[in-house]
Formats: sequence, C-alpha cells, structure tokens
Amino acid sequence: MSKFIATVLAATMLVPVAARAEGEIEVLHHWVSQSEVDALNVIRKELEAKGFTWKDSAVGGMSGANAQQALRSRLTAGNPPGAMQFLGWEGVQWAEQGVVRDLNDLAKTGGWREALAPQLLPFVTSGDAFIAAPINMHRQNWVWANKKIFDDAGIAVPKSWTELIAAGQKLQEKGIVPIAMGDEPWQIGIIFDALLSDVNGPEFYQKTAIDLDPEALGSPEMVKVFDTLREVRGLVDNNFVGRDWAVATGMVINGEAAMQFMGDWAKGEFLAKGLKPNQDFYCFATPGQVTSFQYLIDSFGMFTVKDENVQNAQTALAETIMDPKVQKGFNLIKGSIPARSDVSVDDFDDCAKLGYQERATAIEKGSMQGAMTHGFAAKPEFASVFSDVAAQFFVGTMSSEDAVKMLVSGIDNAR
Amino acid sequence: MSASTRMSSRLAAWLPRLVVAPSLLVVIVAVYLFILWTGLISVTSSKFVPTYDFVGLEQYVRLWATPRWHTAVANLFIFSALFLALSTGLGLLMAILLDQNIRAEGALRAIYLYPMALSFIVTGTAWKWIMNPGLGIQRVVNDLGWTDFRFDWITNPDMAIYTVVVAGVWQSSGFAMAIFLAGLRGIDNSVIKAAQIEGATLPLIYRQIIIPMLRPAMLSVIVLLSYIAIKSFDLVLALTNGGPGTATELPSTFMFSATFRRNQMGVGAASAVMMLMTVAAIIIPYLYSELREKNDG
Amino acid sequence: MAEALSQSSKMRLGRLAIYACLVIVAVLYLMPLWVMVTTSLKPLDEIYGGSFIGLPKVVTLDAWRAAWSQACIGTECTGLKPYFVNSLLMVIPAVALSTGIGAINGYILTKWKFPGANFVFGLMLFGCFLPYQAILIPMARTLGLLGLAGSIPGLVAVHVSYGICFTTLFFRNYFVSLPDELTKAAMVDGAGFFRIFWSVILPTSIPIIVVSCIWQFTQIWNDFLFGVSFTSGSSSPITVALNNIVNVTTGRKQYNVDMAAAMIAAIPTLVVYIVAGRYFVRGLTAGAVKG
Repeated sequence: MSKFIATVLAATMLVPVAARAEGEIEVLHHWVSQSEVDALNVIRKELEAKGFTWKDSAVGGMSGANAQQALRSRLTAGNPPGAMQFLGWEGVQWAEQGVVRDLNDLAKTGGWREALAPQLLPFVTSGDAFIAAPINMHRQNWVWANKKIFDDAGIAVPKSWTELIAAGQKLQEKGIVPIAMGDEPWQIGIIFDALLSDVNGPEFYQKTAIDLDPEALGSPEMVKVFDTLREVRGLVDNNFVGRDWAVATGMVINGEAAMQFMGDWAKGEFLAKGLKPNQDFYCFATPGQVTSFQYLIDSFGMFTVKDENVQNAQTALAETIMDPKVQKGFNLIKGSIPARSDVSVDDFDDCAKLGYQERATAIEKGSMQGAMTHGFAAKPEFASVFSDVAAQFFVGTMSSEDAVKMLVSGIDNAR
Repeated sequence: MSASTRMSSRLAAWLPRLVVAPSLLVVIVAVYLFILWTGLISVTSSKFVPTYDFVGLEQYVRLWATPRWHTAVANLFIFSALFLALSTGLGLLMAILLDQNIRAEGALRAIYLYPMALSFIVTGTAWKWIMNPGLGIQRVVNDLGWTDFRFDWITNPDMAIYTVVVAGVWQSSGFAMAIFLAGLRGIDNSVIKAAQIEGATLPLIYRQIIIPMLRPAMLSVIVLLSYIAIKSFDLVLALTNGGPGTATELPSTFMFSATFRRNQMGVGAASAVMMLMTVAAIIIPYLYSELREKNDG
Repeated sequence: MAEALSQSSKMRLGRLAIYACLVIVAVLYLMPLWVMVTTSLKPLDEIYGGSFIGLPKVVTLDAWRAAWSQACIGTECTGLKPYFVNSLLMVIPAVALSTGIGAINGYILTKWKFPGANFVFGLMLFGCFLPYQAILIPMARTLGLLGLAGSIPGLVAVHVSYGICFTTLFFRNYFVSLPDELTKAAMVDGAGFFRIFWSVILPTSIPIIVVSCIWQFTQIWNDFLFGVSFTSGSSSPITVALNNIVNVTTGRKQYNVDMAAAMIAAIPTLVVYIVAGRYFVRGLTAGAVKG
C-alpha cells in the first residue's frame, strides 16, 4: 500500500518536473505540407532524442509572408520564438536589428565555414558572425519532362532555349500542352530567373538580379529575355490561371503536358507515383551556354533570449541541423540536397546526384547564383519589381520594350 | 442631507460619462493613436522595421510612382462602385421577391444569407475552380453543347477584377437582402392597399412609394457594404492573389505586401494613410449629416 | 368571367416567374457550397485525375476524419479539434463582452446624452472603417506591454476593442428609436442608471442583441489577420490552423482535406446564420435599419 502511495506521489511529482519545459524551444516556420513536415520531423526527433522539447509554431501561406508578419508582431511584443526559419535576406536583416544570436562558437567547433559553399555565406552570416544554420539547398531552375512524350515525338533533351521552344512548338501541333504551369508570379519568376542567366550568361544575372546595374537593366539583352519569355507564354495553355504547381506537375505525370519549370520539390510528385528518373521522367537544368545552378536555402536562426534552458535548446537545435546525418535524412525526404557540401549524396536519386555534380561545376564557373524569385538575389523591395513586371508581361500583351522601361523605372523608384 | 443629495445627483450626472469613458479610451488608443503612429511611420524611411528619421513626403512620392498602386486605386473604384451597385440592386430585388408571401421563405433566406457566414479562406478555392475556364462554368456549359460559350474573365488581366466583383456580390448581397427585407416588413401594409385601391400597378407602387420608404435601410446597406468593400482583403488573396500579374491588386493587399513582403514599411504606411483619408472623405460628411439630423429632430 | 380567368392565370404566371427567379438565384448561390461538399467527399487521386467539379465516383469520409483529428499543422498532427476549442474560447467572451459594452454605450449615448455625446459616437463609428493591416505593429507593442502577447485573452482584448465600434453603432441606432418616456417614467419611479438599463432597456432589446451577436460572432470567428498576428502555435484560432492546412506552397495540396477542413471551420457560423437567421431579419426590422 505504502509502495503504491509512493508510486503515485512519484508520478505526481514527475508531472510538474516534466511540465517545467526544461529546454523547450519554440520553432516558428512555414512548412506545412506533408513532405515538408516529414522532413522537419527528422530534425525534431533528433532534437528530442537529445532531451529537448520542440514546440511547433507553423504559419503557412504566401511563401512565408504570414510567418514573417507573425514574427514581426512577436518581436514587437517582446516575445520572440526560440528559433525561426529564414528565407532569403530575412535572417541577415533581423541580425542587423541585433535580435539574432551569434552562433560563431558553434560554427567554429562544427567547421561550418569549411563545409558550406562560399556563395551561401552572405545569407547565413552578418559581419563576422554566423547567424543561421542552413539545412538544405534547393535548385530552382529545373525542367521536369515526361519521357514518353519526348520519345514519341523524337525529341531529345534540349541544349538551348531555341531548341526547347522549337520542341514545344512541335508538341503543340500534336495537341500536347508543351509547358504546364500556373499564373502565380513566383511560377513565372522561376522562368524569368532562368532566362536572365541562360540567354545572356551568368554575368548578366549578376549585373541585373544582384547588382541592379541600370545599364544592364535597360539593355537590348534584357529585351531579348522578355522576347523569349513571350515565346514561352505561347507554349502555355490558357487554363493556367489559379493552377497550383502540383496540379501542373500532375499534368506532366499524366501526359497531358510535356514539361514544367519548377524547383526540385516537384520531384517528390514523380517519386510518389513510383516513377523513376531517366526511365519515366527527365530532370534537367534549364538550358544555357553555361549551365546555371540557381539555389535557395532554408536556414534556422535563433533569437536572443535570456532563459538559459532555451539557450541550451537553441544550441542543441543548431548542432542538430548542422549534423551531416540529419542533413542527409532531411534532404532525402525534402527533395533537396544538403546545404553542407561535404555530405555524400550516394543514397540519393539520380536527379539529386545530377544537381550535386552540377553544383560543383557551377561553383567553378561562377554560375552558382541565388534564385531571385525566392529572395536570394536582390533585396525584396527590388525583387518584387522584377516579379511584378515579369508577371504582368506574361499574362498580358505588353511589348518587351515597354516591360524593360517599366522594369528600369520600377527599380529606380524602389531605390 | 442636502449636501449628500447634491453629491449623489452630481454622481448621477457623471455616472454615464464614467461608464462610457473606458470604451472611449480604448477607441482613442486603438484607433486614433495607432492611426497617428502609422502616419508617423509614413514620413520616415522605415523599411524592414520602424526607424524614426524624418524624410518628409518621400514615401508618398514613391507610392504614387508605383504602377502597382495606380492599379490598386483604380481597382478600388471599379470594385467598390460595381460591388455596391450590384449587391444593393440584387439584394433589393431578392428582398422584394421574397416579400411576396413566398412558400419556403425561411429556406431561401438562409441560402441567400449563408455566404456571409463563410470566410474567403474557406470559399476561395471553390470560386477559383468555378471561374477557371478549363474546370468550371465554361467547361460545364461547353460540355452541354454550347461550345462557343466563354467565361474566362479570370485569365484576362482586364477582366479579372470583375470576377472579384462577382464573388464579392455573392458574399454580401444576401446581407443586403436581409436588411431590405427587414425594411419592407417595417412598412405598413395599409399604404400599399390604399395605393392599390387608387388603381396603381404593383411595379409603380414599388417604384414610387415603397423604395423611397426604404431610404434608411438603403443607408445602412451602403455604409456596411462600403465597409466591406474598403476592407476586402481575404477575397482578393484567396481568389486571384492579386493576379493575373497585378491586375486585381487592391489598396488593402498593396499595403500588406508592401509592409510584410517587400520591406517597404514606409510605403505601406503611406498607402494606409491614403486609404484612411479616402474613408474619412466618405464617412465624415455622412456622419455629420446623420448626427445633425438627429440633433434637430 | 373570361377576363377574370385570364387575370388569375396571369397572376399565376407572375408567381411562377417569381419562384423561378428565386430558385435560380438560390442554385447559383449554392454552387460554391456544392463544390466544397462534393470535393470533400472525393478521394485525392480522383481530384488530381481531373475531377474538380461534379459528383464523386467514390464517396469517402476520410477527408473529414483527417481534417478533424489527424491533419498536421506543422509537425503537430492533431487536426482542427484543439483549434476549434481555441476559437470557442476566444469567440464566446469576445462576443459577450463587446455586445455588453456596446449595449451600455448605446444606452448612454441615447438616454443619458451629455454634451459631446454625438462626437463620441462619431469617434467610435469611424473606428469601424479602420483597415486593420495598418495597426498590427502598434497593437503588438501594446499587447506586449500589457503582458497579453501570444495568448487568447490578448486576442479577446483586440476583438473587443474594435468590436465595440460596431456594437455601439447597432445599439445606439436601436435605442434612438425607443421613446424617451420609457426611461423618464422609470426615473420618476426612482430607478437609477443601472436599474433602468437592466429592467427597462435590456428586456426590449432582444432583437438587437441577436443582430449584434450574429455580426460579432461572424466577424470574430472568421478573423484571420489578428489571429495570425497575435497568437502562436497551440493557442491559434481555427482560421490560422485552417490556413496552415490549406495554404501550402511547395507541397501538394490535399484538396479534399482542405475542403473538409474549410467546412468544419464554417459550421459554427453556418449554424448561427441558419438557426438565428429568422431573428436576424426580425432584429433588423425592429430597429437597426432605422439608423
């Protein structure tokens, strides 16, 4: 009897201890779809194995704008979450406000600087300090194609946009939708980003999307980019309004459409149907003289908090994210490749391996560049001008010359 | 004795003011102080977070040099005018028809009213499909045999704003109907009887007698619908997300994306101030006339 | 005789036309609901196979089950259930408080007029038209200072603050049409400020209370902006959770679960409108319209 009482007592004693939230960390993120959540669970489980508690705060929608808004309210109220998912310049901008924890100690012992491609550093460091831990790297400029359609029409993987457009026109005559996509500005932006680099070379991308050089922005080369974009529009069916990207991928899978331009998250749709790369579908980079690798990364930053328990959890979370084993597990599910360049991709699918190889060559050739549409080139106030102009051009009847004028004046206005 | 009576009567005089004071305080802070704060932000160089360095009217200049803002303002006028006219017209028509001793009035009324209960986060996707030429109405009609039928406004930057109007009218006309119906029920039947005895036809009675008597209901409808029109936000986000291109941008969506997506907090605040000024220009004269009327009467 | 017959057949034709109009409009109005319900009953593969509108080939309630108790919001796979409870915890006090405060404000602004009462009313009315996107950051700061940040009580406070603008409008316009003799007589009988409110004014104001409650309930239940700004994680209201289920960017949309979730989120407001719809019109008739 007394033993029973002792057990009950112990049990009741245990509850408050467990509920004291020792080392609990709230993570604010905008990953809400199935594959994203499954991938995130790799981190969560590892963190919990170390004895810390993960408190989930998901705010989906609008490519993270809702989450940004929530974060801004939280910081203004003096109630920041322990950790936050950053996209593009967000982390750096918060660091400039002095609210993000410096992770240099961890970076030094973990050898982060050596493990990451130098192109990533501007997004995860501020001054000398590491301010975020990157988990993955997506490539934005992929083409996903239905192999059977290509084979039946006798089309090979195109080596240039001219070839790609010619192939598209050939398919169109056969009654196949050449390009599946939706009208959302970011879907159009993916094509625009690719064209900037593919049509005029990676230096042009650097000058326009990153340096915002007025001369390059107003140049005849830019007109050529819009001209090509107009040709691409001719290859898209008219029902593209309001179409989600995954529905467009579905069209490629069903054989209704031949190709889709989309980041490597589209791969999961094919794999989920049991389709195999190079057997059932093709994945190849958007064609250019120099193959570009337009990347985006997701990283997690930690906000400055006083509570020591939370600080310990932050440390553990950052270490977990940078753990090569976790990076591998996470990216196998997410469809991306590890942010760390030193994690082997041997167990990954063929598309990921191709991406991994092309990243290495792109780093050498200077064609590994941040994807503007996802916030990894110009700052948001400028990137949104590109996106406005490209989207308006694509859905309307504007001439290429007018689009260029609008782009130049829009960028000037935002300066 | 008399002193305490005076005390209590003074208390009685002040009591209403004391009771209303907290509400007033809350409104002054939560509405007017915050408006001032927004106004302050609009004359600073704030981008990512508020910074307090005065730059004059620079953000307003920038705002008006942004084509997207021009689209938003033009759309607000198109949208508000059509939305108000159609919701009011349709609401009135449905109310008049429903007032003809209709069987199953309760069920019909519920059907007209239910859209008001739903948020557009809920109905946006369904509307997107209905409007999509390849999935919705156009396809259904085409499949029925009328292959020339076209309903592809949502794909056309010049027409897309009208699809927003359609969805908005769907949501709010039932509400207008309810208010008009209430107004009709408040009208004395003997007026109609008397006119009928005089030999007036029903349409004439409605045009000449009943609709003018609905003036107060009309005012309530217009005020509440204007409120809905100016604040339309979810509607656009869910239906078109401002697209195709930027064709369906409204001031409220512009403000949100400038502040939270584009790091142009100053421009966002400037657009908020412009919106508030528009609202004030409409509401203050209305309030003035309404409240003065009450004082005289 | 013949003339009378044609008269009555003309009448009948007219009635037929009226019914036809009403039914056609009703069918058009039901279309989105129809799309939502049928989609929520379809398996996902059927939808991605191209069936967006139209009857399901296979009917399944899996999507409803998933939306209620299994769907993942972030890494928490609890479905909408806990958020539904949050919304109830938020909406009930917020509606009760804002309606109560609105009632007493309306009472003061009409029956206990003081100099400037109309001005006070005007100040409150203007608050109805405030675009809320503009005041998010200062509100966040204020909630932080009050220690209410990120909690349901904080959200209730926000909804009450802006809700009283509407409720004051409703009650004031209703009470303005009540004869002043009512309160004067009570005063002669020696009843005080609160006594008159309780036993004279409130009993007559059931219709407008219904209107105010319906309006506030709909507005607060459907609010997303304040919910996403001032709460987080497990204290979020249902609209925020719904958004997290529906608003997927780089993942595949589960349309059937989305629609089922949307229906679940809409059920309380639908019920309120259907059950109280009759009182709504009656309440509007009783006075709100006479603004």
